[in-house]
Amino acid sequence: MNHAEQIAEATREIFSSMIMLEVTAKEATTRTDPSFAKSISGMVGLAGSVKGNLSIHMPELVATSVTTAFLGMEVESIDDDVCDAIGELANMLAGAVKTAIDPSGSEIKLSMPSTVFGDAYNIDCVKSCVSVLIPFDLDGATFSVELQLSDA
Amino acid sequence: MEFVHKIQAATEEIFATMIFLDLTAGEQIDQKVEELGCYVSAMIGLSGGFNAILGLHCPAAVGMAIGGAMLGIDPEEVDEDTKDALGEITNMLAGGLKESFATEGIDLFLAIPTTISGNSYKISAPSGSNRVLVPFAIEAGRFYIDLKYSLA
Repeated sequence: MNHAEQIAEATREIFSSMIMLEVTAKEATTRTDPSFAKSISGMVGLAGSVKGNLSIHMPELVATSVTTAFLGMEVESIDDDVCDAIGELANMLAGAVKTAIDPSGSEIKLSMPSTVFGDAYNIDCVKSCVSVLIPFDLDGATFSVELQLSDA
Repeated sequence: MEFVHKIQAATEEIFATMIFLDLTAGEQIDQKVEELGCYVSAMIGLSGGFNAILGLHCPAAVGMAIGGAMLGIDPEEVDEDTKDALGEITNMLAGGLKESFATEGIDLFLAIPTTISGNSYKISAPSGSNRVLVPFAIEAGRFYIDLKYSLA
């Protein structure tokens, strides 16, 4: 599996056109540390002929400034608006990845987005999955987009 | 659309046939926020006839009891095997719901399970989505099956 370039392109495109922010993709990697601190993660399931999860992981400070830019409203802490914005961002990214993997558009379906946030949490995928993580730079801050696919 | 009985039946069947722990199903509870005192959650996305996220939330001791019973081990913490087992249970539960909705002509597709763990996390679904939360009790304590869905 390597959809790193497609994910990088989709993320740049969505940030540039929907949020008016320029982001730069760094080298693709895989996540070895399951833990997140003071962060928020938006996740969307991919179901059908390809099964997986698409996630975006952001430190809280990045998430509030992205939400401010996205919704055009000031937010200072992780509230319902931030959760909805990050969930919607995950949904748009999953839509772009779905189009890249499945151009016919008929074989992969997206689940409802879900957001997880907190001072300290871990996110683990089941053992039987492969994943790629792309870190992005946004004005010196970092967030990442991750795709996990079932290898079963 | 009926959810509570399907969730109870699918959970009871898995506990009776795969986990072999005595289980008492509770009545649906009305709770908006994720203040359930839980340490580990396993979640899986569903899509098709409706879009959803199915989650299992439990305190650490309950997660270890369930995972340990399924694997025939006695875990000392919520380790990778325990999380994997909880993810697999959520996957089977989603499979049970898929089967029972199929008999009503509603097709569902499953994503792959993810686990969230830690002392401090919250999970949020999009504003406007619906939620069915059903508590269950085993000897080690309570856990919750949580279905958030949108019919649109």
